[in-house]
Amino acid sequence: MAMGTLITVAAVLAGLNTLLLLPLVGVWIRNYTTFGTGLVGGLLLFAVAMLAENAVAIYFFFSMASFYSGDPGVQQAVLVLRGLQFVAIAALSYTTLR
Amino acid sequence: MEKALWYLLTATRGGANRARIINALTERPKNANELADELDVGYKTIRHHMEQLEDHDVVESGEESYAKLYFLTDRFDAYRDTFEDITEQIDT
Repeated sequence: MAMGTLITVAAVLAGLNTLLLLPLVGVWIRNYTTFGTGLVGGLLLFAVAMLAENAVAIYFFFSMASFYSGDPGVQQAVLVLRGLQFVAIAALSYTTLR
Repeated sequence: MEKALWYLLTATRGGANRARIINALTERPKNANELADELDVGYKTIRHHMEQLEDHDVVESGEESYAKLYFLTDRFDAYRDTFEDITEQIDT
C-alpha cells in the first residue's frame, strides 16, 4: 500500500501517542485501585478513549490510505491534528509521571 | 489548591507516597531522612516529592541547610478535610 509521506508521519505520531498513553493508563489503574476516586476514574476513561481513538486512526491510515491520498490538504490537516494531540498527551505525561 | 491537591495525590505516579508523606508529617515535622526511613522510600525519591509538595505550597521547610525539617503549611491545614476525603479509601 502506498501511503503518502505526510500520512506515514501521522501514523508514526499516532503510534507514539499510543506508547505514551499506555503508562498513563497503568498509573491511573493503579491509583484508581488505591484511591477509588471519581477524578482518577475520569482520567482513566479519558486515557482509554484516547487509546481507542489512536488505534482506530492507525487502522484508518493503513486500510484507507487511498482515501487520504487524493488531496494533500487533507493529509496536512490530519498531520496537524495528530501533532497537536501528541503535544497534548506528552504534556499530560510529563505532569503525571513526575 | 483543592484541585492541585487532588491531582498531586490521586492522579500522579507518586501520589500514594505523597499522601503517606503528608500523613507522616501530621504527627510532627520531620526531615527527609526520617521520612525516608519511616516510609521505606529512597532518600532521593523523598527529596523529589518534597520539592513537588513545596511547589504546591503543601509543605514548607525550615531554614537549616542540613537535615531541614518539613512542616505542613497553614494553607494545607485549611484543606485538611479535602485530604481526609481523598485518603479515606487507603489502608481500609
